[in-house]
Order: sequence, then C-alpha cells, then structure tokens
Amino acid sequence: MRSQAPSERVDAGLPAHGRVGADQAVPQLTRAAAGADGEAQVCAELLRVSKAFGPTQAVSDVSFVLRAGEVLALVGENGAGKSTCVKILGGIYQPDSGQIRIAGEDVTMHSALDARRLGIAVVNQYPGLFGDLSIAENIFAGKPLRGGTGLLDHGRMRRDAVGYLDRVGLRRDPSTLVSALRTSEQQMVQIARALAAEATVLILDEPTAALSTREVDTLCAVIDQLRNSRVSMMFVGHRLEEIFRIADRVAILRDGQLVDTRRTEQITEADAVRLMVGRSLTALYPDRHAKIGDVVLQVSGLAAATGVHDIDLTIRSGEIVGLAGLVGSGRTELARVLFGIDHRSAGTIRLDDREVTLRSPGDALARGIAYISEDRRGQSLVEDFSILDNATLPVVKKATRFGFVSKRVEMALVSSPLQQLSLRFRSYDQPVGTLSGGNQQKVVLAKWLATNPRLLILDEPTQGIDVAAKAEVHRIVSELAEQGLAILLISSDMPEVLGMSDRVLVMRRGQLAAEFARAEATQEAIASAATGARMHAAGPVAAGVASLPKVRAGAGDVASAVDVTVASEATPTRALVGWLRVLAARREVGLIGALLAMIIPITLVNSRFLSSTNLASVSAEATLVGFVAAGQLLVVLTRNIDVSVGSVIGLSAYLFGSCVKDHPSTPIIVAVLIAAGVGLGCGLVNGLVVGYGKVPSIVVTLGTLYVYRGIDSILSNGKEIAPGDIPQSVQNVLSHNVLGVSTLVWLGIAVFVIVGVALRWTLHGREMYQVGSNPEGAQLIGVPINRRVLTAFAASGLLAGLDGALWASHYGIVDGQSAGGLELTVVAAVVVGGVALRGGYGSALGVALGTVALFTIQNVLELAKVDSNDLPAFYGAAIIVAVTLDMLIARRSRRVKAVL
Amino acid sequence: MRAAVLGWLGRWETVLAACVIALLIVAYATTPGFADGFNIANSISLMSEKSLMILPLALLIITREIDISVASIGGLSAVCAGIMLRDGHSAGIAVGVAIVVGLCCGAFNGFCVTVLGLPSLVVTLGTLALFRGLCYVLLGGTPVTVIPTSLIDFGNNNISGTYVPLDIVPFVVLAPLVAITLHRMPTGRRIYAIGGNPDTARYSGVHRSKIKFGLFVVSGLACSIAGVISIGRTSQASPDGLLGYELDAITIVFLGGVSFLGGRGRMSGVVWSLVLLTALRSALQLHNVSAYAQGTAVGVLLIFSLLLSNLARVVADKLGTRRRRRTPHTDARPTLTGVGAPG
Repeated sequence: MRSQAPSERVDAGLPAHGRVGADQAVPQLTRAAAGADGEAQVCAELLRVSKAFGPTQAVSDVSFVLRAGEVLALVGENGAGKSTCVKILGGIYQPDSGQIRIAGEDVTMHSALDARRLGIAVVNQYPGLFGDLSIAENIFAGKPLRGGTGLLDHGRMRRDAVGYLDRVGLRRDPSTLVSALRTSEQQMVQIARALAAEATVLILDEPTAALSTREVDTLCAVIDQLRNSRVSMMFVGHRLEEIFRIADRVAILRDGQLVDTRRTEQITEADAVRLMVGRSLTALYPDRHAKIGDVVLQVSGLAAATGVHDIDLTIRSGEIVGLAGLVGSGRTELARVLFGIDHRSAGTIRLDDREVTLRSPGDALARGIAYISEDRRGQSLVEDFSILDNATLPVVKKATRFGFVSKRVEMALVSSPLQQLSLRFRSYDQPVGTLSGGNQQKVVLAKWLATNPRLLILDEPTQGIDVAAKAEVHRIVSELAEQGLAILLISSDMPEVLGMSDRVLVMRRGQLAAEFARAEATQEAIASAATGARMHAAGPVAAGVASLPKVRAGAGDVASAVDVTVASEATPTRALVGWLRVLAARREVGLIGALLAMIIPITLVNSRFLSSTNLASVSAEATLVGFVAAGQLLVVLTRNIDVSVGSVIGLSAYLFGSCVKDHPSTPIIVAVLIAAGVGLGCGLVNGLVVGYGKVPSIVVTLGTLYVYRGIDSILSNGKEIAPGDIPQSVQNVLSHNVLGVSTLVWLGIAVFVIVGVALRWTLHGREMYQVGSNPEGAQLIGVPINRRVLTAFAASGLLAGLDGALWASHYGIVDGQSAGGLELTVVAAVVVGGVALRGGYGSALGVALGTVALFTIQNVLELAKVDSNDLPAFYGAAIIVAVTLDMLIARRSRRVKAVL
Repeated sequence: MRAAVLGWLGRWETVLAACVIALLIVAYATTPGFADGFNIANSISLMSEKSLMILPLALLIITREIDISVASIGGLSAVCAGIMLRDGHSAGIAVGVAIVVGLCCGAFNGFCVTVLGLPSLVVTLGTLALFRGLCYVLLGGTPVTVIPTSLIDFGNNNISGTYVPLDIVPFVVLAPLVAITLHRMPTGRRIYAIGGNPDTARYSGVHRSKIKFGLFVVSGLACSIAGVISIGRTSQASPDGLLGYELDAITIVFLGGVSFLGGRGRMSGVVWSLVLLTALRSALQLHNVSAYAQGTAVGVLLIFSLLLSNLARVVADKLGTRRRRRTPHTDARPTLTGVGAPG
C-alpha cells in the first residue's frame, strides 16, 4: 500500500490534463513541469488562509500544498478546522484573508461550481448524487455528453461510463438507478464523476466512515490508481491507522491552526495524537476492573426479517460485550431488534430470566433497555429542544406533577446523570444544537441514563467525536459497567472494541461468527472472523473486486433485482427475461394494460363507448386536461405542486373570450397570446414566490388559487361569455378532423411530445429531475435551482393559459367559476400517470396515459349514468388509490431486493 | 434581562400581536360601524367554524403533517346531520351523527397516513375531493332547510345580555384545553418532538403513529362540530357548506407562527392570528368587498405571511448563533415541504 517515492512517480508520467469548457485561464499540467526540489507538481495550495464565523475563528493562518499523485491527510479534533478547510477548497466558503492557488495561479471561488470548473472535486458521506437517475447520468451530471444534434446522447454516456466504472472497480450496469446502490458504491460513483470531470484535486471527506474493512481495501486500491493518474488528493479522517496507511503526508490542525505537516513515515500515531490534542493522552482506554454479575440479557435463536438469524448471546451485569463485524453484517439490525424497532421473526429474548416481547421502543424502554444509535444528530437529539428537554424526552411522562410537566421534576430526573458526565454548558435551557459533538453525545448518554436502564446498547458511540471527548466517553462507559449495567458495544473502531470489551463477538452475514475472550482477541482474529477469510494485502483492483464476498444485504443495503440479472452471465433468454421484467415494472406498461382491460369489456357491453361522438368528446376533454397535466408534470418533478391551475384557466379563458367578444375584428391570435400571457404571468408569480421566496408550493398555490379566482370574479363581475360570443369558425378549427383525430387532440399530442423530448434529451429537462431528486446535489453541480423552479411554474402557467383559450373555444361558455376544481383532476392524472409527488421521477408518456386512463374511467362512469356532480369524489378516490398502489408496489419491490 | 426583553420583542407572536392591535385601530378609525356590538358579534360568529378547525390543524402542522380536508369533513358532517333532520330525527341525533361522521373521516385520514404511510398532503388532497364529492352524492343539489330552532338559536344568538355569540363557545372551551395540552403536558412535548425530529422521537419511545392518528381524529371531531355550527348559523345543510374554509384555516395557522417545517409554533400566536383574520374580514365586509375579493385578500395575506416568516428566519440565522435547522427533505418520507420549495 505504501506509495512510491515522489521522484519515481514524476517519471511515470501521464498525458497532460485538459479542462472541459474552461472559463478561467488555468495553466495545464504537463509531465515536464516539476518543482525545483524534484517533488511533484503543486496542484493546489492554501496560503495563510483564515476564516472566522462571527466571534469564532475557525481557521487562522493555515497553509498547505497538495501535490500531483500524492495524498495529504488532514487530521485534527472536531472543531480543529478540518471541515472549514475542505469547504474553503471546495469553494463553499470564501477565506477572510490569505490566498488559494490552483496550479500556481491565485484564484477566487464563489461557489462549489467555480471549484468544479477549476478541477476540484469533493467526495463526502452525503453524496450529491441523484438517486432517481442512472449511474451514467450521475457520472456525467453537470457535464453531459451531447450528440450531433445538440441533444443529450444517453447511449454514449452509458458506454463511456463503463470505462470510468472500471477504473474505480465498480461492476454495475450504468443504467442502474443510483438509489439501488450501497453507500460504498455510491462513493465510487462520486469518484467516477470526479474522474469524468477530469479533476486534478480530489478531496475525500471522511470517505471510510460508512465502509467495511473490505471496502476500505477497495478504496485504497482506487486511491493508488488515482495516484498513478497524477491526481492530487486530500484525505480527511478520524481513524489514524487508515490515515497512516493511505496518506503520504499528514497535516495536523489544532484549534484552527496548522501545527505541523510531516511525511507519514516520519511520525508515529502517538505523536500525531499528541500534536492534535496538545498533550499526551495517558490512556485512551481506562483500565477495566470488571465485576461481572448475573445474566441480564439472554437471547437464543433470534431471527428477524431484516437479516439476522440464529443469534445466541448472553450479557451479564457489569460486563461490556463488544460486537464487531463488517458494515452490513447485521450488528445494527440486531440492536434494532433488541430495542423493539424491528420485530423478531423467531427466537426468544429474556431479560432478567423473564421472556419479553418487544413491540416498540416504548416497550424496550419500559423494560430497562436503552439504545444509543449511531446517528446522533439525526436520531438521538431534537436540535431545537433545550438540553433539559432532550434529556427528559423518554421519561417525560414521569416528569409531571398533577399531570402537568414540571421543570422541577424534570431536573430531579436528569441533573445527576448530566453532572456525572461533566457536561460543559451554559444553562439547562441552552438549545442542544449549539453544543459540540462530544457534548451532544453526553446529553444523549444522560438522556438514556435517566431511564435507569439495565441494558445499554451503544452503536458507534464515539463516531465523529474528537480524541479528548472519546476518552471521556470511554471512561464513562467503563464506570457504568462498574455500576452494574450490562453493555453491548457495537463499534467499527477496532482499537475501541479491543480496549473496552470483556468479550468480543463477531458478526458475519447476519450470524455470530466468533467469540473471543479479552485475552485472545486480536485485530487479525477479529478481522478474519468478520470476513471469513485470512487477511491478505489487496491485489490489483479487478482481483480485489472479484474476491469481494457477497455481503448479506442488511436493512439499508439493496441490490437491484434487475441488475443481478443483467450482470450475471448474459444468455439470450436471461437477457430477454431481464428486459421483460424491467418493462413490466414500468408504470406506462401497467397503464396500457389497465386501459385495455377497461376498454375491451366496456365496448363489448356498451357499444356507445366507441362511437365517434363519444370518443370525440372524451378525447377533447382529456386533451384540455392533458395540456395542463403536462405542465404539472414539470412542477411535480421539481418537488412542487401547483393547485392554482384551475383558476388560471378560468381567468385566461374569460379574458380570451371577452377579447374575442369585445374586439371581433382583432385576429384571434392576439386573444390567444393574451390568454397565454396571462397564464405565463400567473405562473411566474407562483414560481417567484416558490423558487425565490422559499415558500412551500402547496401553500403558495393554494393562496394564488383564491387570488386568481378573485381577480377573475372581479374582472368578469357577474358577466359571462355566452354561446355565440366566440365565432363558430374558431370552434370549427379545433374540431376539424385530421387523420380521424381532431386538431385539438393533435395539439395535445404535440405538447406531450415536446415536453417528453425536452425532459429526456435536453439539459434543462434533465436538470428538472436533478432538482427534484436531490436539490443540494443539484446545487453542487451548478444547477440554478431557483431558475428551474421558476421555469417549471412558468411553463405550467403558460400551458394553463393556452388551455384557457382552448377551453373557451371548445365549450363556448365561460363564467367566473369555469374550470373550478380542475386542479384535482390534473393532480389525479399526474398521480395515476406514475409521477412521484416527492419529485425526481415521472415521464410525459406516463402522464399522457394517466390522463387517458382517468378520462376513460370517467366516461365509463358517465355512460353508466353516474351524476357529474359525483365526479370529484371519483377523482379524490383515484388519487388515494393510485398513491396507495404505488406505495405498496414500492414496498414490495424493496422487500424483494433486500432478500437478494 | 435586556436579552430576555429583546428576545420577547423579536418573537413572532409579539410582532403579530402588534400588527393585530394596529389593524384594529386602523379599522376602527376608517370603518364606520366596525366597533358596533352587533358587528363584532356577527364577525365573530362568521369565524366560529374556522376557529375550531385551526386548533387540531396547528398541532398537525407542528408534527409535520397537514389536513387540507378540514372544510370537506365539516361539509360532510353537516350534510349527514341534515339528512337526519330531513328524515325527521331530533337535533340531538343529528348532532350525534355529525360527530360520528367527523370521527370516521378523521380516522380515515389518520389510517391512510399512519398505517398506509402515505403523505398527508396527498391523502388530504384526495379526501378534500372525496368527502366533498360525497356531499353531492348524498344530498344531490338541494340543501336541507328544515332545521330545528334549537340549532338555529345556537347559531345566531348571543349569550344573553352580551355581544358574545353562542357559536364561539365551543372554541372558547376547547382552545385553552388545546393550549394546555400543547404547552404543559407530556403529549404536547411529544408533539413538538415528533415535529422537531421524528426519528429521535421514535427512538425515545414516542408512539408517533398513535399521536398522529389521534390528531387526525380530533381534527375530524372539531370539523364536525364546525359543521353543526354551520347548520345553525346558515339555517341549512348544503352540499357546499364550509366550501373553501381551508384557505382561512391554513392562513390563520401559518400566520400564527406555526412553522411549515414542523416542530415550532405556539397557540398564542394562532389565537392572535385568528383575531387578525376576523377583524380583516369584518372590515372588508363593511367596505362591501365581495366574497371572492376577500378570498383574494386572504390569499395574498397567506403568501406574504410566509414570505415574511422566511425573511425573519434568514435574519435570525444571520444575527444569532443559532444553528441552521435541518431541512426536512433529508427525511426518508416526504413531508409538507416534501412537496414544497426545495431548500
């Protein structure tokens, strides 16, 4: 794993890097350019950079260099300034003073997009990937490949993606949706994206936090590849042994200042810790004087649908049992079953020798089980709550006097645990979000201690905490054991497991693979039990991937069902079956099937359905809604909704009608333009308030629903457009048949085709999906979210405006309430058409089919003499049924995937 | 001490209260008859249905859910009660039926959200249509006009000797109960926890589904009482009863400082906001502004109040050391703002 000496690598050399679409004059790296001291070329440099946030000085006077083909590790406690440095290099923060140099030139970056353009890529734990889009699209996101016509070339992106995937050792079909990948695989896609963007500076921010040992090996191999490609890398992490394994040099930060930069072979881990902390830590792990008592927890034959089975374990009072294993081996799943979050499917759990059934965390709490989960901010604390409120949340029912919550009783319950943990805070009412990570973890511990547990389950308790706080947590845990608690310690930090545990259990593939007493537990023994093979140095990337054991899927790990079929030996029949399964899963196919299933019986029973008048009227009504549904598709893709469309149609229809009626000599096109313009204006207002004002679209469009309707009523003032006001010639144009289909319907088809093509083959269209799928990720690649949202609403308004003109022309009657309630029909059509209301997923074809399906059903109901007043009930039911079906199908396919 | 006073001044409820007082003064000065006892009683009576709807709605929005079917539940309850009256049953039976219908509608919403796991926005959008549609299915086009005097009196008379309308009494009774539950009882703490961080609440033993289901049922109950009030006040049970009331209800709750992100909001703000909207509608009515135009005004008010609260949040973030709120679209399940502005 150790890198070659710099001088050797300079000679290895590689073709010069270019930059795509360079806006800035950045000099190119070439083989020939090498620093005066023979070291590799400097790619990026921070020079005496300082940054303050209010009164806090985050970093001051920090300088370091990143060289081509070299890995610099940035280490330091939490709050030392690591993430600030990452964000400064990543363009998210601007330094107050000092300079950033890229390839020797001073640069100023105002956004992450500027950093991208300069060749800087950041890979972090919360990937800016788009789960609803394919791997190939994600790799080329922000720099998509175009074909000859200027439209996006998806085929070429898929083919080129395979090359990048090979380089990072990810063997997956590029058409797979990223949401089907594990976190480690998603990180590889991020790196592939950085490669595709020809990044010269790659910042890896805590990349190993969610990885198993084997996946870390793969990452190391990838990093070696990147070294050979002359990419300069910065690695930010907490696990010193990984850092010393991967990095060439290490830069140590303390309290916002750079303490030292050394080559990793010239410094020991102990020295690095000392420099980080500023003092020698005598013992990270306290001496254990275990007083082991009676059995508290006894589990036999435990199994759960989330992937654990045949679990037998015992924990005694005063004992710390460490639980090691690869990510995905089932440790957290086991903890969740013990805490009642997930249900057990087999086996028994006995507490203090009494069998218990745990149906919810409340049950577990009542029995004296406490679970500190690994996601502190996300799962253990309410950031807006004060320290006191957080600490008393599980026991708030007890913190009462005469039924009312009493602060005095709250304090009585938690003040002693809080003091025992020597929490540093200003007052009990301080919001917990203002504390440091270590102090927050102490609040979490205090919270659970206040429940007087018998069994404490800790899941990665020191993750993301600085070294000093880690030591304190370990001391506290050891004390708790001495006081008689039974403790289950789940940790991926091998030294922590070895230093704290009285016994070590190792899980592999959902089962217990090994058990070691304290004396016999070693890193090698644990690792080999966890992987099921003898530890060996990782070979070349391809071999490393091939020898990856199939880790059993846990709750969060899913493999695409389709992907398995495609990736395996592709015989013709297997490929066909796989392709058919993909097709069957698509909503559009289901809709066509449902339509046929409805139409065929109906025509047999009631031949009027297929009569030309019936079909003409149904298709006209469907088109009038379809126009607007296409616009709604764009809005929903961006994770919004527009319920004002009905009012917009009414308003523009009235204005169109009154223009035609009052100015009969003006060409009709003027009236159409007025209608379109009004619709566009309404849409722009919506889009501005939602996109730029950051107000939820449901609320905005609910408000504008009434505002536009009110304007319509004020303008029309009780008048209406009556039959005859609009010349028959206009109506005839719309109903004129071309190839058996009316002009109106052709217009509708044209709209759907245009929208569909734009969504699939233009950058603007794909960006709509990106905005809805992952707004933060879209921002990171420079998608102007506000503008896209504005565009979506503007398009929705424009189409509604045009629809108003068509509406008035088709029906010939318009009053102040026209098209009222139409928004429900539109939403129903979109939902039935398979568009996800959470954004990022849906197609024009689906919406078209959904509209047709909806109106077919409506027509069937009408032919069956159902009253038109009853239709809103039908639309409401349609929305609920469609969304329920979608959710059930999604649940089923997730379960199917998890089993693989 | 100074920090405490500044903090109090900067709170949404304080600013809102100031606006309300300002509005009342301006309305009194510019609108003849505004302070007239009869007008006050009438204006309050007009808002009596909405005043009930907002109580559970505020709690639901704090837990990151929403119920936009409130008006439709009220309408359906009223229609069912009207059918009972039309068929000759007593007022007591009619009221009982209305309440049962409201409870069932609320339970249906709650079931779809907590058991089926569907987003509440979509569910209540669907039930808004479904329940309203059922109004028409059950009653056709003709309203029921045979209403017993007991209900009519309830909807139109004041407490004897005062200008306090009888139909605001349910609100006066329920509002303090809701406020005490939210601010002083464990259930209220849990409600704030669910909205502040749903996962943390769950892992702290809070039974989220039970609480949310209960809130939807209570919402149905409150709306059914609103429906009964509407029958008394308008002397009829009509399929378009309480049509469009959800606009006012949502405006009042958001204007009252309940955050659409969840986890924030106080009943005092909601009550002030109710007063503001009552006064606004009263003044507009006296100036002969049509119902549609009033709707326009309320719509504008809704949008501006949210824009303003966003601005206030941005300013507070910049001024204070308060950490940025975690944006809810990182949650697995879509929330109110899951179908809302990104970021």
